[in-house]
Amino acid sequence: MSAYENPQIPEGINVSPTHPLKDFALLLGGVSALIVVAVLALSFAAGYLVRFVPFEQERALASSIDADWLKQSHSADDKRREQYLQALGRQLAAAMDLPAEMQITVHYSSDDTVNAMATLGGNIVVFQGLIDTVDSENALAMVLAHEIAHVRHRHPIVAMGRGFTVMLALSALSGVGDGMIQQWVGSMGMLPMLAFSREQEEAADADALQALLRVYGHAGGAATFFEHVAEQSALPEPPALLNTHPDTDARIARIRDFEQAHIRPDELALKPLPDFVKSDKTDGTDPD
Amino acid sequence: MIITNIETVPGKTIVKHLGMVSGNTVRSKHAGRDIMAGLKNIFGGELKGYTELLTESREEAVARMVKQAEAIGANAVVNVRFSTSSVAAGAAELFAYGTALVVE
Amino acid sequence: MYDLILFLILLVLGYVFGQIAEKRHFRSIIQREAELRDVLCFTERNVPEMGRIDSALVCGSVVISIDFFKKFVAGLRNLVGGRVSAYESLLERARREAVLRMKAEAKARGAKSVWNVRLETSSITKDASQGVAAVEVIAFGTAVTPR
Repeated sequence: MSAYENPQIPEGINVSPTHPLKDFALLLGGVSALIVVAVLALSFAAGYLVRFVPFEQERALASSIDADWLKQSHSADDKRREQYLQALGRQLAAAMDLPAEMQITVHYSSDDTVNAMATLGGNIVVFQGLIDTVDSENALAMVLAHEIAHVRHRHPIVAMGRGFTVMLALSALSGVGDGMIQQWVGSMGMLPMLAFSREQEEAADADALQALLRVYGHAGGAATFFEHVAEQSALPEPPALLNTHPDTDARIARIRDFEQAHIRPDELALKPLPDFVKSDKTDGTDPD
Repeated sequence: MIITNIETVPGKTIVKHLGMVSGNTVRSKHAGRDIMAGLKNIFGGELKGYTELLTESREEAVARMVKQAEAIGANAVVNVRFSTSSVAAGAAELFAYGTALVVE
Repeated sequence: MYDLILFLILLVLGYVFGQIAEKRHFRSIIQREAELRDVLCFTERNVPEMGRIDSALVCGSVVISIDFFKKFVAGLRNLVGGRVSAYESLLERARREAVLRMKAEAKARGAKSVWNVRLETSSITKDASQGVAAVEVIAFGTAVTPR
């Protein structure tokens, strides 16, 4: 047995010398950067290509979609509100140089959601909840003009095109890795999309302020809705990087700056809203 | 370094037995290959990407085993065995082990 | 947003505790290898003449779990390909531990050598789609005790 030994084997042959944190940092940085770049490239391509879809097609697409708020039964009051909103919409659209074939259709919903949105085909819906939070026609016009600006820039279809393309591309990686990696890839993919969304919101804000200026002569009252949002939010806002909208306080500041820059010496007062527009819930008196 | 998977090195005499040496490696193929493998699941055929992966792993595992053998002064490794398993999503571990000898 | 924070916390916990456990384990392994150096191991089957001997099968096995950090790094590596170094240290630990346990069992019998040592690795999955939760290594061989 003298020829039989077990000499000691030196350490480190079967392990890699790189420090785990360095390995992790390189991998994380590399993969995240790759995904963000790929998503950016895809989004640019998709956004560029989808603009070639004519507006007519977009409208056809929109009418084929079933939406709850399109089917609501309207009371007589609701119809008056919708007509008012449509008239306001037409007034603002005229001030915003919309191309001839782009028609805006303003819908009213009696739901108490505090929001307004623009979707495909020039369809805009304004919710009663939002109407109840504003106290002047100027504030309401700001929100409506913001949505019309989205339509003018074709943001709805561009966002849809980008979202769809990126989702399709990222789903190619759906078999790879475990649940955590899927989540990470999804989050990284979302970052450029969120940046695009914020860019769109800022562009719409700028256009809306210009429209207000043309229709009312000043931009007073424009920040009302956003101030309400800032007051009402109980939770702290997620950081701007992870949000679809720009930081609310920054938005209010920009709007105020614009207001200040365009104050006229004989500034007109804010135009009040008609009585019938507010819902029963806000004032104590019954509407006529 | 002579490597065999039988008990001896044919035609040589064993001078010293130096005990177990092993080499292991864990390698992963990139996402592109996984996607191709997914497609092959539909069409069938050899998964060249994965074959490459296992070949690379095997070569590296054997290289590490040889490095251990050299470090203890051996010049042959006999009775070599391989063991492979999947320990991570999409990664293969290959483990080679044998007995290091000094032969002449 | 809160998912991200939770994720980061788990990652840090996985890394810190994983590294502590690993370093401690490696120290213990090196120390026990020094103690058990007199039990010789070979993968050969030709047992030399040793006079009257007793022989018996001895085994050592160990299951080591994968921490959150390693799992995430392996997942990332799966996207770009290459060596998964986080798992290499894990498997090295598991393998050496299994062999040590086998040697310890042999020594308990009074054996001086173990022959035809074989190692098998397998992965234990809690949930197949989520990847591997733990790695198991078993080492076994024939322990030879001079009578």
